[in-house]
Amino acid sequence: MMKRKALVIGHKTLQEVTEDIVAPVETMPGKGWISLFLSAKLLFLFYIITIAIVVSTGMGLLGVNHPVGWGTMIVTFVFWIGIGHAGTLISAILFLFRQKWRTSVARTAEAMTVFAVMTAGIFPLIHTGRPWLDYWLFPYPNQRGPLWTNFRSPLLWDVFAVSTYATVSMVFWYIGLVPDFATIRDRARHKIRRKVYGALSLGWRGRARDWSHYEMLYLLLAGLSTPLVLSVHTIVSFDFAVSNVPGWHTTIFPPYFVAGAIFSGFGMVVTLMTLVRIGFPKFKDYITIDHMEVMNKIIMATGMMVGYAYACEFFIAWYSGNMYEKFTFINRAFGPYSWAYWIMVSCNVLIPQIFWFKKLRRSIPIMFAVSIFVNIGMWFERFVITVTSLHRDFLPANWGNYAWSNYDAAILFGSFGMFLTLFLLYLRLFPAISIAEIKPVIHVGQEDCRKPDQKVDHKGGH
Amino acid sequence: MSEINKDIVQKQTQPEALQPEALQPEALQPEALQPAQFGYWKSLAQWNQDSEFQKAAAQEFQSSPLREEELTEEDRDGGWARREFLKLMGASLAMASTACIRRPVQKIVPYNKAVEEITFGLPNYYTSSYFDGAESLGLLVKTREGRPIKIDGNPKHPLNGGASSTRAQGSILSLYDPERLHGPRKISSGTAVETTWAEADASIVAQLQKGGVVVLTGALNSPATTALVKEFTQGFKAKHVQYEALSSEEIREGQKASYGDEAVPFYHFEKAKIIVSVDADFLGTWLAPTAFTRQFAAGRKDPATMNKLVSFDSNYSLTGANADIRVKIKPSQQVDVVMGLAHEIVVKKGASKFAAQSSVKSALAAFAETPTKLGISHELFSRLAEDLWKHKGQSLIVAGGLVTQTEAAKDLQVAVNFLNSVLENDGATVDGRSGFSGLKASTKAIFELIEEMKKGSVKTLVIHGVNPNYTLPSAAGFREAVKNVGMIISSSDRVDETGTVSSYVLPDNHPMESWGDAEIIDGVYTIQQPTIRPMYDTRSFQLSLMTWAKIAKVGGKRISSSDSYYDYVQAIWKDEIYSQVAKAAAKGTNKAAGFESFWDQALQTGVVDLGKQTKSSPARTFKLDALNSVKAKSASGLELVLYPTVNLGDGRFANISWLQELPDPVSKICWDNFAAVSLATAEKLQLKEKTLVELVIGGRSVKIPLYIQPGLHNDVVTVAIGYGRTAAGKIANNVGVNAFDFAKIEKGALIASGLIVELKPTQEAYKLACVAGNATMEGRKIVAEATLTEYLKEKGANNHRHKTFSIWSGHQYNGNKWGMAVDLNSCTGCSACMIACQAENNIPVVGKKYVLQGREMHWMRVDRYYVGNPENAEAVFQPVMCQQCDNAPCETVCPVLATVHSSEGLNDMTYNRCVGTRYCSNNCPYKVRRFNWFNFTGPVEKPLNLQYNPDVTVRPRGVMEKCTFCVHRIKAARNQSRLENRELKEGDIQTACEQVCPAKAIIFGDLNDPESRVAKIFKEEPRAYGLLEEFNAAPAVRYLTKIRNNDQEKRFPGTEGASHNKGGHA
Repeated sequence: MMKRKALVIGHKTLQEVTEDIVAPVETMPGKGWISLFLSAKLLFLFYIITIAIVVSTGMGLLGVNHPVGWGTMIVTFVFWIGIGHAGTLISAILFLFRQKWRTSVARTAEAMTVFAVMTAGIFPLIHTGRPWLDYWLFPYPNQRGPLWTNFRSPLLWDVFAVSTYATVSMVFWYIGLVPDFATIRDRARHKIRRKVYGALSLGWRGRARDWSHYEMLYLLLAGLSTPLVLSVHTIVSFDFAVSNVPGWHTTIFPPYFVAGAIFSGFGMVVTLMTLVRIGFPKFKDYITIDHMEVMNKIIMATGMMVGYAYACEFFIAWYSGNMYEKFTFINRAFGPYSWAYWIMVSCNVLIPQIFWFKKLRRSIPIMFAVSIFVNIGMWFERFVITVTSLHRDFLPANWGNYAWSNYDAAILFGSFGMFLTLFLLYLRLFPAISIAEIKPVIHVGQEDCRKPDQKVDHKGGH
Repeated sequence: MSEINKDIVQKQTQPEALQPEALQPEALQPEALQPAQFGYWKSLAQWNQDSEFQKAAAQEFQSSPLREEELTEEDRDGGWARREFLKLMGASLAMASTACIRRPVQKIVPYNKAVEEITFGLPNYYTSSYFDGAESLGLLVKTREGRPIKIDGNPKHPLNGGASSTRAQGSILSLYDPERLHGPRKISSGTAVETTWAEADASIVAQLQKGGVVVLTGALNSPATTALVKEFTQGFKAKHVQYEALSSEEIREGQKASYGDEAVPFYHFEKAKIIVSVDADFLGTWLAPTAFTRQFAAGRKDPATMNKLVSFDSNYSLTGANADIRVKIKPSQQVDVVMGLAHEIVVKKGASKFAAQSSVKSALAAFAETPTKLGISHELFSRLAEDLWKHKGQSLIVAGGLVTQTEAAKDLQVAVNFLNSVLENDGATVDGRSGFSGLKASTKAIFELIEEMKKGSVKTLVIHGVNPNYTLPSAAGFREAVKNVGMIISSSDRVDETGTVSSYVLPDNHPMESWGDAEIIDGVYTIQQPTIRPMYDTRSFQLSLMTWAKIAKVGGKRISSSDSYYDYVQAIWKDEIYSQVAKAAAKGTNKAAGFESFWDQALQTGVVDLGKQTKSSPARTFKLDALNSVKAKSASGLELVLYPTVNLGDGRFANISWLQELPDPVSKICWDNFAAVSLATAEKLQLKEKTLVELVIGGRSVKIPLYIQPGLHNDVVTVAIGYGRTAAGKIANNVGVNAFDFAKIEKGALIASGLIVELKPTQEAYKLACVAGNATMEGRKIVAEATLTEYLKEKGANNHRHKTFSIWSGHQYNGNKWGMAVDLNSCTGCSACMIACQAENNIPVVGKKYVLQGREMHWMRVDRYYVGNPENAEAVFQPVMCQQCDNAPCETVCPVLATVHSSEGLNDMTYNRCVGTRYCSNNCPYKVRRFNWFNFTGPVEKPLNLQYNPDVTVRPRGVMEKCTFCVHRIKAARNQSRLENRELKEGDIQTACEQVCPAKAIIFGDLNDPESRVAKIFKEEPRAYGLLEEFNAAPAVRYLTKIRNNDQEKRFPGTEGASHNKGGHA
């Protein structure tokens, strides 16, 4: 029988754990964080200005046109929604499956989910022609008739799916944070800090009753989130699958999208975790190379699922005998946007294959590079689906190309500004690893690594 | 803050302002502070009115308002007095609420001095006429509340009927062109200075009286203007020159040489079973394309007896694109084609009355090897000759237009006349005795004029209706010659190219602002009624002439007896037209009505037809001597072809944005002209698309974008004229290259075709705005085609219908259910429907930049696909509008129900509900939906907004729009039928595209009425099919297969059925 590896290395005492984890919250940020934050913030401001210009001038500033009615905004929306999948998967599904290794990455992955969904949520609102009327997408009693929404439209399902997912994942994340907020509160020396974290911890006293309610609520929320992990991207895929466009109208989309979402989500988790490990070296004891390896394995597995979906789409296009479908897929691989298709295939299917080698999947620089490729590849997957399907559909006289503009680039990169600003703030304001959950697992696998040379000195530096 | 807001602020603050006074009275003061007049007192201190006590009493009740009043600043302990607080609170509330009050009230006043004939909300229609130098149409102008908004053909007109051309449709926009001059201008040292009519008249008359006057006009087909100019020129001893860039001079010369009389004949395409066109683009730009398209389409309504069009095409013209057999040639081969056919018939077959004449034989001998020269099979050529002879008297050979303006332009006409005489067409399909008598313009005349100008014998030049400084090549020397002319007066509506070299620009009224008339062809007269009062301080050219003549006290009786040009027109009509009508009536038993009622009736019906056309015209005798000059020539090198386009013609309408954005029917390129060459030539010369090429002609070189046109002759490069304006306005200036400048003058004649040019590649990138996504159908069944042979065997040949089924019962339509049928066999792709739709539905123009980005807004488009290999590509056209599907994919995906199914089968688009997700457009398999990417309609420059159709919403930014089947016309017709207490019937409703279509290719009607034409087509017509039928969107539009009368067994040989139909059981 295989021995378990240590989930936390370094023979931490409970106090050391607390101090390690709350250190970023309780110390002043260094130059590195400040410079990163300022640049992210600048990018975020640039993003806000770009959106303001687009909203006030018109969607025509972007490359969307006739026939490509959806472009960068929808592509980037699906991209961020997809990213948002890993968090809930890790914290809810892996929680239910009692995967203890999840504890050290769950909090940050969930934060990433929340921020990714927030970033994504902007796009459906601003991609409409008249964003100031977006509230019409919500069914509510009104004085316009009352005019109701069209429940047959997948776009409406999308509104529900995304808003539900955003709400539940945010609540789930917050509930998990409550005991840790209380810890910070209890340690706080400054009045304001105590007040703020006191308010955030919702009066947590750490009594058995608190823990009992907490555990039950956490379990229930995990149960509630689990179907959402699958449903939200299923419904996002319906935006495409339920319509008629060749290349969109396929039944494989729901599972294919979910697999792709988990794939891209883990890609982003690995990207962020490698950076967090660099930024907060102490976290290396909690987010160990073993954790990273497990996630890399998931990346490889879901990458192959996505690869299967790519192949399956081609097979079905041929097998269906539908000439439009057939043309669309040939056009994807060999048409004017074939470069996007091959970027997608190489980033998503080929590059993750290097994780077959243990050495490579345990190498931080390699996994960082691969995770970046996965992120790029998954953006291009959505680009390929959205743009190349639309740009050549039924009547050849309508064919056209996407009119990519600088605003497309600004919107795409600006959204990273929003995400990174939120994420960097999170790292400094919230405990990035769940203190309450890590403490019960510090003994796991400890017998195997009791070698004295692995003892890391943790004194000082608070 | 606006006035209204101020009012409200005052109103809201008033009660506050009143308060102090109202609450001040002594009586209200609290008891404690008053002298104890009632005798009760509580303490001695009160009795004594001790000041300490009073202070304490005042503070006894916290809420005493008086206390605060009394308190001084120091007493307040730095706090706020309640009243002051309330005051400030109220004021700030009032201020804050002004920001969110209702919008300012702007009172409107009802239409209390109604014009008698105008019913608010209902259109008025007036007959009028249109003339663009070549084509003349009878019009019916739709006006709303006094402003013309749409031009259509006059349904009672014998030539164009209800149809009209793209340019006529677009000409409405020139009325509202913001860049029209608002009054007379004097041009001094290149700049236009405002002047008054009186001032201008005085100095002009003084100049006119010096003599040496020349009146330069375009072709005049107006009897009144012609008479007036004659009277004027007689009065001032002036000369009258008629010039058009697109004149028909070569036809007149050819007619004169062949038959002795110099008139442009009228052609009867409807009577011809076989038509051979040698570079005469009669469906697009030659003479009267609207009337000719009507005739041509009438000849192929029933495919079983359809005519055959064979086109020998140097350019890929619209006529060539519609030909059953199209043969690419180069301009130097035009004469060969005609003479070669004559050789086949007269010499080889020995047919016709000329067969015995040796002079004919010798003249034709040189053309024996024509098929070899053309590079086509002898068999095709002799079969064509056979066909022609078989249909003698029912065939028609035509040639003409700018493309035939080679050195041998007259010879070509002589050859054509000869062949028509051989085939006994003269008198049958060619009416030489009553033709286009108004087309008398001459390019040779203007060259003579320029010579005179250079000599200095022209002191005053009055220019009307032409723009020689733009349309003449610089080699003509017009620009130099004007320096020797004392005064040049232009009647243009702007300071155009000719205006800039003039002394005065005296803007003429727009045709829709002034009276006029036209003799379209011999004996067919129309009146041009003004439909709006002149918008600016303009004066009709005719009135200017009359005014000058009156001031100078010259001119004839009519000028002196007419106060206005209206009087003049009436006088002419009374003397010349009414007299003929009265004479004709006198011959019969009817007594003619008086002139007044004749005039009223002429205005109402818009046309007076003396019926000269219906009389049979006997064949004329062909003068064989004329053939002597017709010689075979051989040429080598790249030959230049200049051609007018369907949208811009000679460039006079270049500043009309609709026409600039209308894609050329064949190349589908807008906002530019270009040099088109064949694929092989481009490869040979290493020319690339999306770059500029250097066109070297006569030692000059011009950079021009390259376009590879399938189906062009390898020795041909074609360039459209009408572009490259420099002083037409913001829209037209510097769009494209002025190709008129490439023409050469030789022996006093203009050579525009067949000039040898060179093309050199450059590395400069240049993008052409092309709206056609893909040139071919990619093997899909989009335009179904069959040959006549296939059709005769099976009417539904190549029309593979799909069995579709649905899991629900579908919508129920209990009243009307609207449907449309488009006969692809009639449609010529002329694109008049696109402009009609644009005019009817307030469709914005987006400009070249956005067309390049795929943001054009046309609700209706005409798709063009090429069939066959690029060397001999044939074209097909397909108008595509919203298909109003029963199972509409757009309807299900809209999250806010902005597009919904109506009870009459329309996909209604609710603009104000649309939030602009564009999902509907993505899901539309026909991609007929258009999105307002920007605020296209907002910045429309005044007064262009006056053209807007008030029945159609002007769409804001961010909403989707599309064809509505002209739902407002349906509603209007329904209202009318209700007023008349009857059901809607067939013909009550015409959509804008249906109305304008000269080929009558579009039929709209009620599918629930079994007797309607559409219902019959949907039910019975074997040629009918739905576009992407297998997709089961259940469109309410049916297309009818195109039939090609090209002698071939199968449209797609070597395939069982049709290969392009096999696809897509989706």
